Amino acid sequence: MSGINKKKLQDWFWAYLMILPTLAGTLIFSIWPLIQSFYLAFTKWGAFGSYEWGGTVNFERMLGDTVLWQSLRNTIVYTVGSVPAGIALSIVVAALLNTKIRGMSTYRTLYFLPVVTMPVAVAMVWRWLYNADFGLLNHMLRSVGIEGPRWLTDPKYAMLSLIIVSVWSSIGYNMVIFLSGLQGISKQYYEAADIDGASAFVQFFRITLPLLTPTIFFVTVTSLISAFQVFELIFTMIGINSPVIRHTQSIVFYFYRQAFVNMDKGYASAIALLLFAIIMAVTIVQFRLQRRWVHYE
Amino acid sequence: MIAALALSAAAQADVTLSYRFWDLNQAPAIEEIARAFEAKNPGIKVEIEVIPWAQYWTNLETAATGRNLPDIFWINAPNFELYASNGMLLPLDDRLAKSSLISIEDYPEALAAIYNYRGKQYGIPKDFDTIGLWYNKELFDAAGIAYPDEAWTWDDLIKAAVALTDEANQVWGIAAELNLQSGFGNTVHQAGGYIINEDRTKTGIAEPEAIEGLKFWTGLIHVHKASPSMAQMTDTEPVSLFESGRVAMYFTGSWNAIRFANNEYTKDRVDVAVLPKGKERAVMIHGLANVIAANTKYPEEAWKFVEFLGSKEAMEIQAKTGTVIPAYMEMTDLWVNSIPQFNLRAFMDQLDYAVPYPASVRAGHWQQLLVDCLIPAWAGEVSIEEAAQEAQRQIQEVLDSERR
Amino acid sequence: MSKHGSRQRINGKLVVHVILILGALLMVGPFVWMVLTSFMSLGESTRVPPVIIPSQLRWQNYQRVFTSFPFLRFYWNTFSTTVAKVVGQVLLCSMAGYAFARIRFPGRDFLFLLILSVLMVPSQAYIIPRYLLMVKFGWLNTLTALIVPNLASSFGTFLLRQFYLSLPVELEEAATLDGCNHFQIWYKVYAPLAKSGMIALAIFVALWSWNDLMWPLIVNSSPLKMPLSAGLASLQGQYGTDFPLLMAGSLMAVAPMIILFMVLQNQFVEGIALTGTKG
Repeated sequence: MSGINKKKLQDWFWAYLMILPTLAGTLIFSIWPLIQSFYLAFTKWGAFGSYEWGGTVNFERMLGDTVLWQSLRNTIVYTVGSVPAGIALSIVVAALLNTKIRGMSTYRTLYFLPVVTMPVAVAMVWRWLYNADFGLLNHMLRSVGIEGPRWLTDPKYAMLSLIIVSVWSSIGYNMVIFLSGLQGISKQYYEAADIDGASAFVQFFRITLPLLTPTIFFVTVTSLISAFQVFELIFTMIGINSPVIRHTQSIVFYFYRQAFVNMDKGYASAIALLLFAIIMAVTIVQFRLQRRWVHYE
Repeated sequence: MIAALALSAAAQADVTLSYRFWDLNQAPAIEEIARAFEAKNPGIKVEIEVIPWAQYWTNLETAATGRNLPDIFWINAPNFELYASNGMLLPLDDRLAKSSLISIEDYPEALAAIYNYRGKQYGIPKDFDTIGLWYNKELFDAAGIAYPDEAWTWDDLIKAAVALTDEANQVWGIAAELNLQSGFGNTVHQAGGYIINEDRTKTGIAEPEAIEGLKFWTGLIHVHKASPSMAQMTDTEPVSLFESGRVAMYFTGSWNAIRFANNEYTKDRVDVAVLPKGKERAVMIHGLANVIAANTKYPEEAWKFVEFLGSKEAMEIQAKTGTVIPAYMEMTDLWVNSIPQFNLRAFMDQLDYAVPYPASVRAGHWQQLLVDCLIPAWAGEVSIEEAAQEAQRQIQEVLDSERR
Repeated sequence: MSKHGSRQRINGKLVVHVILILGALLMVGPFVWMVLTSFMSLGESTRVPPVIIPSQLRWQNYQRVFTSFPFLRFYWNTFSTTVAKVVGQVLLCSMAGYAFARIRFPGRDFLFLLILSVLMVPSQAYIIPRYLLMVKFGWLNTLTALIVPNLASSFGTFLLRQFYLSLPVELEEAATLDGCNHFQIWYKVYAPLAKSGMIALAIFVALWSWNDLMWPLIVNSSPLKMPLSAGLASLQGQYGTDFPLLMAGSLMAVAPMIILFMVLQNQFVEGIALTGTKG
């Protein structure tokens, strides 16, 4: 009897010890900061980090801050533009790679290259490609007689330019996940379909896609969350003094400006909470909706 | 014996000072100064940290907020009072009075006064600068136009700019950069207007004279089509355009002389002249200072370095290498002659009608607001009058808050 | 009939290859252009009509970037903090994941949910207070600030717990009979079996750590403490639109990771796939 108790205590001792660092780290660096963020959203900030209680002043300001709402709109446009396109293309590439072709791993490597490249560097290269006067893109367009737009300084095109880069750099990552998902689909389904005489196209839409939906769901959730938090692209490719900053600023970029350029950390905390609420809401909606379209075996 | 050696080695432990500034072009000269200082002061090492201009003030403010400022750093007029009034800087009067190497009278009074707050001296002047009209001799020769000279007026500049523009080949007469110190700050005063008044209570940016000074630039872009557009200048910076022969004229300061002298394209192809005359003559004058952080762990050593930076020896190095105009009047000739192919005298010739770079407690902040308001006007999205009205409103708000 | 069928199959394969090759060119093209531009002069890069092949290999561009910025420091900062984070997280998450998966203890489910709840929160919601903590601890502008806040990972804990859950319980019973305590069981028996999970996490963390920009920007003010990401941002702040120099700098920054990837391709890809499917 006492042996069992001693074993239990020993178990508990080790358990707590082994989770202690992670638990402590989470409490100190994530949970406490989250709580403090709630508090800071109600503070007013002065020069060099001095702050005091400000009540609802930040939230009142948020209501009237057209720049904030525009950056939210920009973020939504960016997300809607880049996530579906990125996922669709990744699925196509993964499906193509999944057919037994030679050089599969070479292709895989090439498509994955953008993923291992630092986002700042990716943004820098594309900034150069997009340069309206001396960049390669417009040079190529000019050589076939088209006058290319000002990709990064024309409000009509700036967001599109960012979306293109986003899709370009994320295809490889999602492709790998989809490849793994595709390889998890049992061959039996395809063999049965072959016997029935179904074409590759039909097989793709009737077998592959439905069975891939769990993976698609996962990728959609993560891609949406990460698209909503876009920062490096705007920081590197657009910049605070660009004439199109208002048209492309994402909500996280605006957050960064308020927190670390304008030094108003109270207002920035309020913005962070808004972002939190939005991402929460979107994710919950997605989880609710999954019953409608995700097939689990 | 061994114990004694060990003890003395410990006592002589190296102190490492961090020195932060923004101009990479000045780094070689500053390295020279730092090594000379280290040679005279064994036991003190100076670590140089260059933060690009675009990030410097954000970086500094973040460091200040964390009481983590570098030991010594550059400060300029618009940002000085923010730091001084919040106790971020070390007052230097006592040490200055006891110094045998430098004294406050060594520097031009106007410069020293900028870095004095409520009777205490916080900064030792380092240099001063004015703005010049840099031009590309090759492009002028090709178009058969005479080089700019002291007789030039706004009209002469506009005429030349139009003649030098060849849009088909992507060459423009001038780069109408949106910049207070090197751009519209000069033309606003040349038109008889002002940015803020002397006692910092009012801004004149929306008054007719200032508007004219601003329209000088937007006119060049939208009316005369002699400048690349705001979008083009965002895609490719004006200084890059100048350094690749795409614009024939460019307003920028004396601090870029060394940059153009080192650049393989500009070193033999460009020269500089005084700014043209508007209704009157005016040019922005400014000077930087070295300051010590209040939170420094080594105030004595930091002072020794700042003292050295303000001394004759350091000033001479700055001048001889053509790096910047030293804050020692008797050495300015050394600088003028340091890069013989450039007419550097043009910067000194304008001193008589120089206007100080506007400063106030929160000048860094309202100057950014001013630029934010003017961006749409430069881009042609709103009229100058509209942009200036909005700027006036925002700047006035900040000026009012300073007095409270 | 079979001949017709096989020709169809070959045509199909051709189409697949063509599409994939076009895509691959799009993927690789920008890198090629990065390299070419890095050897041009500013004048060449702004020439109209454009210069595609630079006239000479201007190593000076690389040299200038190297002498203007402490690149060696950037490499070291990035490398050392990444290794520390990878080792730290794999260790900590492994231990915690095992404990949550295999030991029954009071509060287990609650604590696990607590740690997991953090995943729902975007990093911006706690980045400002984290910064304030750095100020309070005096860790501003240190490598410690880049490492320590990132050692406890909810995602890693979750991932490795999944792994341990999928391993057979019998192993534990056998080890317990031998008189091992849980720590030894984890260390000797389970951890080696979860190697693929640990490697996957390691790669995931390494990639993320290498690329992170906002936190170093906020926490580091001295270039000597910056990692490559913030260093590159500084490079752009300095050189504006002098693209040859920027491209040289970018290339120097991305080369190590790309080379590492080329060498460890399979592990990379498998690792990412794993985090995606188990997660």
